[in-house]
Amino acid sequence: MGREVSESCVESLVTEIVSSYCNGFYADKPELAARRIEAIGFQVGHQLSERYTMDRPRFTDHLEAIKFICKDFWSEVFKKQIDNLKTNHRGTFVLQDNRFRWLSRMSVDPSIETLGSIQDPSAMAENKAAQAIGMHLYFPCGIIRGALSNLGIPCAVSADISNLPACSFVIRIKA
Amino acid sequence: MEEYPEELRTPPVALVSLVGCPDLHATVTTHLHSQQPPLNALALPDFSKISMISRPPKDASLPPQPVAGILKKDWLLKHRTRVPAVVAALFSSDHVSGDPAQWLQVCTDLENLKGVLRGRNVKLVVVVVAPSNSKDYLSEDRMIALRKRAELDSKYVIIFVPSETELQQLGNTFSELANSFYKDEGRRIKARLEKKNFHSAELNIRCCFKAAVYAEFCRDWTEALRLYEDAYHAVREMVAASTRLPPIQRLIEIKCVAEQLHFKISTLLLHGGKLAGAIVWFRQHYASYRKLVGAPEVIFLHWEWLSRQFLVFAELLETSSVTSQHVSPSVPDATDRATEWEFHSAYYFQLAAHYLKEKNSSLELAQSLSETSGEVDGNAESVTAAAYIGQFAKLLEFGDTFVMQSLSDEEYARYALAEGKRFRDSHEIIALLKRCFEAYNKDKASRMAAFCGFQMAREYFTVDEYSHAKEVFENVASLYRQEGWVTLLWNVLGYLRDCSRKSAVVKDFIEYSLEMAALPVSTNVAGQRDCGPAGPASIAQREIIHNEVFSVIRGASESEPTEENSSLIVTADNPLYLEIDLVSPLRAVLLASVAFHEQVVKHGAETVISLSLLSQLPLNVEIDQLEIQFNQSECNFVIVNAQRSHLAAISCLQPGRRVETATTLELRTNKWLRLTYNVKPEQSGKLECIYVTARWGQHFTICCRAESPASMSDLPLWKFEDIMQTIPMKDPGLAFSGQKAVQVEEPDPQVDLKLDSSGPALVGESFIVPVIITSKGHSVHSGELKINLVDTRGGGLLSPREAESFSSDNLHVELVGVSGQESEDLSNSENIRKIQPSFGLISVPFLNEGESWSCKLEIRWNRPKPIMLYVSLGYFPQSTELSSQRAHVHKSLQIEGKTAVVMSHRFMLPFRREPLLLSKTKSVSDSDQIPCLPLNETSMLVVSAKNCTEVPLRLLSMSVEAVDASTCDVKSKSKDPEEPVLLVAGEEFKQVFAVTPEVNLPNLNMGIVCLRWRRDHGDGERLATCSTASAVVTKHSLPDVNVEQPPLIVSLDCPPHAILGNPFTYSIKITNRTQFLQEVKYSLADSQSFVLSGPHNDSTFILPKSEHILGYKLVPLASGFQQLPKITLTSVRYSAGFQPSVAASTMFVFPSEPHFGLKDSGEMRVEPVAAE
Amino acid sequence: MIVCVAVVGHQNNPLYIQSFTEADDVLKLHHIVHCSLDVVDERVNNPKKSSPTLNETFLGLLYPTENYKVYGYLTNTKVKLILVTTDLDVRDADVRNFFRKFHAAYVDAVSNPFHVPGKKITSRTFAERVSTIVKSFGLSSAS
Repeated sequence: MGREVSESCVESLVTEIVSSYCNGFYADKPELAARRIEAIGFQVGHQLSERYTMDRPRFTDHLEAIKFICKDFWSEVFKKQIDNLKTNHRGTFVLQDNRFRWLSRMSVDPSIETLGSIQDPSAMAENKAAQAIGMHLYFPCGIIRGALSNLGIPCAVSADISNLPACSFVIRIKA
Repeated sequence: MEEYPEELRTPPVALVSLVGCPDLHATVTTHLHSQQPPLNALALPDFSKISMISRPPKDASLPPQPVAGILKKDWLLKHRTRVPAVVAALFSSDHVSGDPAQWLQVCTDLENLKGVLRGRNVKLVVVVVAPSNSKDYLSEDRMIALRKRAELDSKYVIIFVPSETELQQLGNTFSELANSFYKDEGRRIKARLEKKNFHSAELNIRCCFKAAVYAEFCRDWTEALRLYEDAYHAVREMVAASTRLPPIQRLIEIKCVAEQLHFKISTLLLHGGKLAGAIVWFRQHYASYRKLVGAPEVIFLHWEWLSRQFLVFAELLETSSVTSQHVSPSVPDATDRATEWEFHSAYYFQLAAHYLKEKNSSLELAQSLSETSGEVDGNAESVTAAAYIGQFAKLLEFGDTFVMQSLSDEEYARYALAEGKRFRDSHEIIALLKRCFEAYNKDKASRMAAFCGFQMAREYFTVDEYSHAKEVFENVASLYRQEGWVTLLWNVLGYLRDCSRKSAVVKDFIEYSLEMAALPVSTNVAGQRDCGPAGPASIAQREIIHNEVFSVIRGASESEPTEENSSLIVTADNPLYLEIDLVSPLRAVLLASVAFHEQVVKHGAETVISLSLLSQLPLNVEIDQLEIQFNQSECNFVIVNAQRSHLAAISCLQPGRRVETATTLELRTNKWLRLTYNVKPEQSGKLECIYVTARWGQHFTICCRAESPASMSDLPLWKFEDIMQTIPMKDPGLAFSGQKAVQVEEPDPQVDLKLDSSGPALVGESFIVPVIITSKGHSVHSGELKINLVDTRGGGLLSPREAESFSSDNLHVELVGVSGQESEDLSNSENIRKIQPSFGLISVPFLNEGESWSCKLEIRWNRPKPIMLYVSLGYFPQSTELSSQRAHVHKSLQIEGKTAVVMSHRFMLPFRREPLLLSKTKSVSDSDQIPCLPLNETSMLVVSAKNCTEVPLRLLSMSVEAVDASTCDVKSKSKDPEEPVLLVAGEEFKQVFAVTPEVNLPNLNMGIVCLRWRRDHGDGERLATCSTASAVVTKHSLPDVNVEQPPLIVSLDCPPHAILGNPFTYSIKITNRTQFLQEVKYSLADSQSFVLSGPHNDSTFILPKSEHILGYKLVPLASGFQQLPKITLTSVRYSAGFQPSVAASTMFVFPSEPHFGLKDSGEMRVEPVAAE
Repeated sequence: MIVCVAVVGHQNNPLYIQSFTEADDVLKLHHIVHCSLDVVDERVNNPKKSSPTLNETFLGLLYPTENYKVYGYLTNTKVKLILVTTDLDVRDADVRNFFRKFHAAYVDAVSNPFHVPGKKITSRTFAERVSTIVKSFGLSSAS
C-alpha cells in the first residue's frame, strides 16, 4: 500500500463528522444523526473490507471472519489488534480494545468514570459527555457492521464504554 | 444413438452355425443364448443350406483394386449373422451307425461342409446326437472313421445325448472354439498390422478396427480400446493426407468413421467405469473435429454431425449413469479435470440442441441459396448409401442390374440438401432442450435451466407456438428480473411482447411493453444481431416502445394504426385495467408513495396528505386523471389534469366525488411528481390510502397500490443503477418515516358530564354524588351511564378475608342506589339496568340539545377508605344512523371516606369519696387493667365525641344502651339537648352518665354508646325537611368493668373553697362496710399552705358497719389552688394502703372574700370533672 | 482471446459486464456468464473434499461451452469475477494472474467514495483498466 493517510487527519475528520451531524444538520434529532453517522461508517467498512480481504482465501465460518476483523482489519485501521475477543457461541461476539484510538484523546469529566458501564449509546441522553462519546462510537460501529455485512454476515453492532479509553464492541449476528 | 445399427450399439457376440438335426436347433439355440457370454446360433436345417456360410468367391485374377473406402458397411453385420466362428455338424447316431447308404450320406455332407470351410479358419465340430439310452451302441469303428473324415481332434467329435449337462458341455466347447477362432483371426490381422505392409491409411484403419472387434469378441476390452484408439488417431491423421474422394465426401466419410470409432471407445470407457476418462476423451474428440467444418455449402452437415456427437454421448452417459455415479473423477492434471456439468447428460443434450439449431439455421441459408440458383435436383432419390461407411453413391439402373456410381461433390451437396429438407428439427431441438431444462431444474441449476428454457421458448416462438413460448419465457423472465440481468430480461420481454402481439392479447402486450420501456437499459450495447424481436437494448428502442404503447393506449384516433398492431386496440369494448402491487415488475412504470403529514388526526379535522408519483419511463407521460382511494371511500378524490380536462375522462366519475384540478400531471423520468392535498376523514379509526389510480383516456387505467415512504423498498433493477436517487417527499422526516395511514381520533363528545361532590364522605352516611349530564352540541341517544367504584390503592372494595361473603356489611364502600332527578323513583323503573356494590349501569333518557339530566349516586362507606369513582357516558349522537360512532365521556372523582366522630369514655369515682378497691391496690399499674367499679356506689362515665371532619356536624342524641338494665343502672346526668348540638370541626362533645353497678360481677358488660348525628347543612338545613335517614348512628361499645365490693370508703369533707387566713373544718370520714372490725392506720402529711390542728399519726379500730370521723381545723396560708394535707390510710386487715387522689384533695383559696354571686354553680360543678 | 469479463454482485446481479468481440454475440455471452453462476454456486456449496483449492478465491475452469471456456473467481465478499475466453489452451497461471489484476482493479473501483456499494460500476477508469488487463492477457507468460 503506497497510499497512507495522516492519522490526525482521520481523527479530525471523525470528530468533525460527529460534530457537524450532531450540532448542525440534525441538532434536534440525535437518532437521525446517529443513523447517518452509522451509515457513513457502514460504507467505509464495506469498502475497506473489500480491500483488506483481497489476498486471502474465503472464510469458512463466522468466527474466521470475526477473527479477521480483530486482527488484520483492526491492524490496518487502528495499527493494533483487538485485545480481547469473547463469544457466547450463539452469535454474539464482544471485541474489546483496551485503548481505542479514537477515544484515547478524549478528556472526560471524572464523574463519568464512576458512571460505570453504559450499555446502549442511545440510552444515555441524560449525560451530555457520555452522549458525546456515544456519538463518536457510531462511526466505528458502522465500520464493523459494514465490513461484516460485506463478508456476508448481517449483524447489529453496539459499543460499550466501561472506562476510557477502553471500549468494547458487541456484535450480534442476525440469524 | 437409436440410428446406429444394432451390431454397432451392442458388444459383438460370437456366432455358431448349427447344421443338420433341425429338431434340436431350438433347444441348443436357446441354451447358447442364455450362456454367459451368450452365443448366437445360425441354424441351418440341413446340409444343402451350407452355401449360406460360404464365402463369396473372390476373383483372384483381378488386380488389387485401389482402396475404395475405410470400413465396409456390412462387415460388422457379416460377423454378426453370416460368418460363424464355429460350425457344428449335427448327425443323428442312427445315421452314423446306420446302413452304408446313411453312412455315405454322412460322409458326403461332411466333405461338402469341409469344402465350404476350406481355406478359412472356421472351427468345425461334429456332434453325433444319440438317444438317451443308446450311447453305448455307437460302434467304435464308425466313430473313428468319422473323426478321420472330419480331420478333427477326438474331443471335437462329440456324442451328444440331449440333457442339461450335455448341453452345458456342448456350449462350453462352442465358446472355447469361438474364442480361439476370434483370437486366431485377431492374431492374423495384427500380424499384418505389425508388418505395416499397407499402401494406404485406409487399410491400416480397417485392420485396426477389425482387430479391435475381434478383441471385443474375445472380451479383451483393453486391447480393443487400444486398437480402436489407434484406428481413431489414424483417421484423424487422414484428414489432411487423403485425396481419394472429392473433399466434401472425403470429410464426411472420415467424420463418419471417427464417429463410429469414438462411439466404440466411449462405450468401452463407460462400461469400464472410466467416466472421467470418457468425458476427457469426448472433450478431445470434440476439440479435434469441431473446427473441421468442411465446405461452406454443406456446413450444416458438420453441425448435424456435432450435434449427433453430443446427443449420442449424452445418451451413453444417461444409460451408464446408474453404474458410474459413485466413480469419482480422478484425472491428475488439474487443467484437464472435467467440470461439474460435464458429468451431467443435460450438458450434452443442451449442446446437441445448440448444434442442431446451428444446423437448422445454416441449412435454411443453404436452401435459400440453392432455391435462388433455381436448380432442381431430380436424381436425389437415386442416391443411396454405398458399401463403405460414410460414402454415398448414385444408384443407376441398367435394366435389371443396378450399378453404383460415385458422386461428384456438387451432386452430393444437392442430395444432402434435399435430405435435410425432409426433417423438421425444431421439435427435436425443443425435445432436447426440454430434457435438459428439466434435468437442470432437478439439479437446482436454475440459471442453466433458464438458458435452456430461453432457447426452448425461442424455438417454440419460431414454430409459432406462442402459448408454449409465453409460458416458458415468463418462467425465465422471472429469474432475470430477480437477479437483475437487464439485457437478458430485455431480450426475453421482447419475445413475450411479440408473443402477445401475435396472439393479440392487448393486456399482456401493454404490460410487457411498459415493463420494457421502464427497464434500466441505458448503455447502447453495440451491434446486436441476435437480439430477437426486442431490438437492441437501447434508450432509443425504449422510446420507440414507449411511443408505440401509448399510441395503443390513446386509441387509434391519435396515431395511424400500424399493420401489426391493428388487433391491439383499447376501446370502450376493450377497456384495459392494470394493477401494480408491491411485487409487480411494473412498479418502475408507476410508483405511488403516499404519506400523511400527521400520525393522528382529530375527528372532523383536516389533515394533509402528500402524494408522490415516480416513473422510469423514458419519455414524459401526461396523466389525464388521478384518483386517490382510501379505505374510507368518502375521502376518495379525483385530481384532474387541467390541460387535459377536455377529455371526457371525467364522465366516469361518481357523482358527488370531490374533484381537484392540478395544473399538470406530467410524470418525468426519474422525477417525483409531488402533490399535496387536504383530506378530511369522516370516521374515526384508521384512514389508509390504498390505491392511486391513474387514467389515460376513458379506457386505460393503472391502479397502483399506495406505499408508505417509511417502508418503501427500492425499485428492483433500478436499484443497481448508478443514478440519482431522490426522496419522494421534500421533507426528509416525512420521506423517511411517513405513513400512508393515519389514525383518526373518536369524535369529541359534546356532552358535559359533571360529578358534584362536597368534600369527603363520612363513614356511615349515604354519601350523595350528583351526576349531571348536560348536552351542549349533541343530542343523546340511547345513553348509558356506567359507574365503577375502584379502590384507589388498587385493591377491591372488600377486605380480603371477607371476600367470600358478599354481604353488605363486609363491603368497605358500596354503591347503595341511584335516585333520579326530581325525587322520581328510579329504583323500580327499567332505567336502572344493574346495581352492584361496586358497579352500576343506568340508562339515560333521550336528551335534546341543550337539555340536561341528573341523578344522584348514593354511596355508603363502611370503613374509612379513599375510592375512585369512574363514571362514563356512552351515547350515539345520531339516532338514525346505525353506523355512526358511539361517543364516550369519561369522568372520575376521588372521594375520601372519613370517620366522622371519634368517641372515647372514662370512668370516674364520686368526688372526694374514695373506696378501697383491693384489686386496684394490688396491681402495679392500672393502665392495662379493666376498670374497677365499686358495687352499689355511683361512679361517673364520661363519654366524649370528637368531630374529626372538616365540616360541622349536628349531634342529635347520645345514649347508653345497656345490655341488661338490672345489672347496672346508667343514668344520664345531663339532659338530652332539645335542639341538635352543633359540633364544629375539631370540637369535642362530652356527656356524663352516672353508673351504679348493682350486681357484683367480675366482668360487667356496660353496653354500647349510641350517638346519632348528621351533617350540618348550614342555614338551608332548617328549611329542608330533614329525613330520618340522614341521621347517622355511630356506636361505641363500652368495655367490661370489674365490679367490687369496697371494704372501706374514705370521704373527705371540706368547704368548696376557703379564704386566706380564715379557718375551716376538714373532716375525713372512714366507713367500714364490712362485718369485721377494721384496724386502720392513718397519717396526715404537713402542708406548707395550711396550718392544721388535729392528730397526725394514729391507728384506730372501726366497728363493723360504722364509721369513724377524723376532724381537723385548717387555716390557709396561701391563695390559689392548694393541696390539702394528704392523708394516707392503711388497712391492717388487707395490708393495703391508699390515698385520696390529688384532685380530690385540692381546694381553692381566695385571697379575700369574693364579691361575686356563686349562684351559677353548674359551671363550677362540671369544671372539676372536665379539668383533668 | 478473452471475449468477455464480468463482475457479478453477491445477489447474482451483474455489476459490470464487458465483451471484447467484434462479433455480435453479446447476448450469448451474457447468457454464458449468467449460467456460470450455477457452477460457482455448485462449487462453493458442495466443495470436493479432496480438492486442494478449498476456499481459494480462484475457482478454476467453471465449464467449457461451445467455443468458450469460462473461468471463475469468488472474492471473500461474495463478488464473482467471470472470464470467458476462446483460447483452447489456457495456462492456469495466466488465468490466476488475470484475476488478481482484475480483482485489484475492482477493489480500487469500489473504494471510490462516490461509488455506492451494490450498484453497477460505471467508472470509466475501471473500464479502461480492465481492457488493458484483458489485452495483456497471456502476454506475461510469453516474456
